[in-house]
Amino acid sequence: MTTPHTPDDRPGTPDSDRAPGAGPVSDAAGPRLIGRSMPRIHDDRILRGDGRYTDDIEALDAIDAHGGGSLAHAAVLRSPVPHGRLTRFDADTARADSRALLVIGPDEIERHADPLPTVWRMPGQLQDRIQVADRTVRYVGQPVGLVVASSRAAAEDIAELVEISYEPLPAVVGVDAALAPGAPLLHPATADSTGTPGPTGTPGPTGAPEGTGPAHGNQAGEARFGDPRADVERVIAAAPHVTTRELAVQRVSYTSMEPRAVLAEWIPGTAQLSLWSSTQVPHAFRYGLARALRLRMDQIRVSVPDLGGGFGGKTVLHVDETLVCLAAKLLGRRVRWTEDRNEALTASYQGRGQNVTARLALDTDGRFLALDAHIRGDLGAFATQAGSGPFQIAGQSIEGPYRFDRAGATVTAVYTNAVPTGAYRGYGMQEACYVRERLIEEAARELGLEAHELRLRNLVSAAEMPYTTRAMSTYDTGDYAAALRAARQAVAGLPRERTGRVRRGVAAVPSIEATGYGPTALQETIGIEASGWESGRIRVNEDGTVTVYAGAIAMGQGIETTLAQIVADRLGLPLAHIAVRLGDTETTPHSDYSSQASRSVVVCGGALMRAGEQMRARMHALAASYLETSPEDISLDAEQVFHAGKTSRTMTWRDVAHRGWLGWGRPAHDRIMLEETVDFDPPAITYAYAAHAAAVAVDLDTGKITVEGYWAFPDSGVLVNPAIAEGQTVGAVAQGLGIALTEEAAYDPHTAQPLATSLWDYELPAPATVPTVHVTHTETPSTFIPGGFKGLGEGGIMPPPVVLTNAVADAVPEIAPALHRTPLTPYRVWTLVQEAGLEG
Amino acid sequence: MGQGPGQAGPADTRERCRPVKPPVFEYMAPRTVEETVRVLGAAETAGGAVPLAGGQSLMPLLNRRRVRPSLLVDLNRVADLDTLIVGERTVRIGALTRLRTLEAHGPLRTALPVLHDTVRLVAHPQVRSRATLGGSLCHADPAAELPTLALALGARLRLASAGGARTETADEFFAAGGTSRLPGELLTEVEFPVPEGFRFHFEEIPRHAHGGFPLVGVCVGVRRDAAGTVTHARIAAAGAADHPLRLTEAERALTGRQLGAPDGVARDVLDAATAQASPPSDLHGSGAFRTALLRTALRRAVTTLNGQETA
Repeated sequence: MTTPHTPDDRPGTPDSDRAPGAGPVSDAAGPRLIGRSMPRIHDDRILRGDGRYTDDIEALDAIDAHGGGSLAHAAVLRSPVPHGRLTRFDADTARADSRALLVIGPDEIERHADPLPTVWRMPGQLQDRIQVADRTVRYVGQPVGLVVASSRAAAEDIAELVEISYEPLPAVVGVDAALAPGAPLLHPATADSTGTPGPTGTPGPTGAPEGTGPAHGNQAGEARFGDPRADVERVIAAAPHVTTRELAVQRVSYTSMEPRAVLAEWIPGTAQLSLWSSTQVPHAFRYGLARALRLRMDQIRVSVPDLGGGFGGKTVLHVDETLVCLAAKLLGRRVRWTEDRNEALTASYQGRGQNVTARLALDTDGRFLALDAHIRGDLGAFATQAGSGPFQIAGQSIEGPYRFDRAGATVTAVYTNAVPTGAYRGYGMQEACYVRERLIEEAARELGLEAHELRLRNLVSAAEMPYTTRAMSTYDTGDYAAALRAARQAVAGLPRERTGRVRRGVAAVPSIEATGYGPTALQETIGIEASGWESGRIRVNEDGTVTVYAGAIAMGQGIETTLAQIVADRLGLPLAHIAVRLGDTETTPHSDYSSQASRSVVVCGGALMRAGEQMRARMHALAASYLETSPEDISLDAEQVFHAGKTSRTMTWRDVAHRGWLGWGRPAHDRIMLEETVDFDPPAITYAYAAHAAAVAVDLDTGKITVEGYWAFPDSGVLVNPAIAEGQTVGAVAQGLGIALTEEAAYDPHTAQPLATSLWDYELPAPATVPTVHVTHTETPSTFIPGGFKGLGEGGIMPPPVVLTNAVADAVPEIAPALHRTPLTPYRVWTLVQEAGLEG
Repeated sequence: MGQGPGQAGPADTRERCRPVKPPVFEYMAPRTVEETVRVLGAAETAGGAVPLAGGQSLMPLLNRRRVRPSLLVDLNRVADLDTLIVGERTVRIGALTRLRTLEAHGPLRTALPVLHDTVRLVAHPQVRSRATLGGSLCHADPAAELPTLALALGARLRLASAGGARTETADEFFAAGGTSRLPGELLTEVEFPVPEGFRFHFEEIPRHAHGGFPLVGVCVGVRRDAAGTVTHARIAAAGAADHPLRLTEAERALTGRQLGAPDGVARDVLDAATAQASPPSDLHGSGAFRTALLRTALRRAVTTLNGQETA
């Protein structure tokens, strides 16, 4: 069932390629739409500049005859110190400014708002809320108040008039410094607590982590995944060879093209809060805001207009966004805040930030006996709603696509004086991939084995599927070795130059991607208070057009097109009949996760597959009733005309829809309204996979790495739109190359000040950095997701950092043992070259 | 831009409501050089007035409130600041000339190929379509390409003020951090000598991709005799100090030598450059790293020139 193809030359997927559960649509005359590369519906509008983002909303209707307006603008007051106690908040001068509408500090915020709820606490974690008014600041950029004025510039002017004093406290940067004895404590109130084991169940067959350490010092919590430590230690102690490395993945910033943005309106008369926001999770925003602002859920409406990128950064409600909504409520008017790039790089939560001690034990044949990882995750100042989630997923997925006799990971979440971390595309799996594949590469070097052979020897084979890991993940389908062989083949003949001042090397690594998060049972077991199911609603309108409502969010990934294709395919209609509505808590289906965790096509698409089949059956039954035949006798042609068998009796789709809404000609017990809503709770995680390969050149004199070739061989089950799938992969690879080579949200280790505060110091991948990425998808369908879909949003970002690092190790083996962290900036590589005695 | 008073339409109304970030400043858009220097020199604004040319460095600094002028003098409507005259001995370029114009100018490319090549190293085409020669020279970032090029080529800078005009050499203009431009002065024109018999090359080492200021850049020019011996050398470096740096010691060391010495570039030329350099340390590399890059860039520049015929 694995069918290689490249996206650009691919015809429609024949029915034989369909997954079980997709079901035949035997009579639809149009070409199948699932499996076709089609232009994205919204591209034309967006590319012409007709996008409507949060910052585009309003403005003329809010302007009165005198050119003034009811729209107010906010600026956030932020801490300039990394750790301290706020001792004075004097806003008298600021409030006296005639342009000032509102100035609030900790006192006012505390009076009018409550903390935000956490969603996912790790075992041992005592922190169960997020303070919106904290008189202790723990990172540079922490919101301590808000100014609202007639314009943004005025708000910034007035912000400078607010006098805030801090009593400084010693600060700590980085997890290892924070765990060292005598480190400054971020949360002394809970630091010496004996705590209670976490809120989760027992380890073992459920896959839930075992709490191993309550909060103490700067440790927020600790958990063990996979085999108990003692079991793994026993195997490691007896193993003929053990490779040990200290590895790290740096903090990174999201840098979505559109930063976070909020436009909040409170209408006092109706007591309704309307919020337009650049968020990936409107329903979760509403939930958090209702708690913080002491409102009923149905007093809040969150709408998401066009959204210019998320990457996980917009999956949790931030404190500053909450304060803007509070300001609207206090003022009874519209308040806008759009973060600037400086705020995006320092005050938006960040991603990654893990230090890992990793050990791989092998026998004399190169068989993997045991893998152990101790992951120290950098939470920053506090645990956000999802808190240590990425660290836990790193621990849970440390085994990747390999077999081990024993494997486990201990995950320690650590408070530090930096902005909190959160969900970032790849969510722990990129970090785990880096650690695992770096370790395997180094083990091969130590043993004098070919790393590729070592990998093949230990990969889970297609014949072993479904395969359950030591940490109780069950991989459903896939041929990991085939992907890795294809990747290796792509770089097999390329130059490997180990002499001279410009070296060349290649590497290929496999990866897996947990997609379709998450089954309700799993969420419940882990203790994540967020639902993972989705519902899809299809409405055939009176004129025969079709409106689709789903919980996903369109943020540039093309999901509106993909979902339209699924529904059009099921109904047998052209794409133009379908409109997709997303991102509005009043009108679109409930969804806590919306678009994240590589789930939109899997869970929303799965629901719409079924809803589409139900709607198709209803329309065919109606047509059969009107045409006085049986539904089995009805067919729909390419002109959207129903035919009754071989007779000449016909009726258009539009007329059937029209009569359907009138309620005519139906059996008395049939439903009238032409809407079908289906909820879908995925029975399990479905695992996508990939192998990537790269060829690099390393300039020993400058430390510069040039990516001379890049190849990706992903398998995400049945592809709805291969062109979109390719775009997602290329974009994720580019982002992964940024992590590999240039991006780091660095902090000064002594002052705890953020160093990368502009895009000059936070260097993103540019067209010159990113080579042509050659993508070849295969399609191994999921066996339990309708349509056979698997997710693919995150897969592409996982291998690039380690495939690049391993290719550098291949090119410059003298520095291979020291390649223990990203990004491989020219300075870092040059330094390693110097330390290896390779200076020119 | 481009709308005068009384022409406010819907777009203008909307514009007034957009969130802009700079602190409050007065704004003037003079039409002539005379008017500009009068405004700049006015006693009440001297020191607090900042000229706005292409805005590619200034606007982000304004929005981040790193620069807080009392008066912003927009040069973009000043007439006759973007002339470009390619003569036999000199090239004269108006300070407001956009880098894209320089890049696309055929006669300029023939007369001063290194200017064409170096301009193309600056940022991206979008930035070059707004950025100006004068803006880059007056901003005088120590790692920027064009101040370094001006030093190596021995450019002369024409400064106008209410009291008259004066000319500074690039060496004088960039002598220390910042420039020798006085408050109230306006850079109006840059004159580049067409260096007869010279070959120039600009070699830079970007941080990762081209687009920002390089970590280090070196501009090397040599004139050689028939035997290939260097008779004159001009060398300047970007990113090698807290200001654009003329490497006079390396010039002396290179003079009287063959470029294609048996061991590549003679070590004492590199040592001379190193001795004069005092590059900064920051997030992107230590001073030692930048010093090593300076040596690499210089070696590469000389090697490139050696591969070219004498002019």
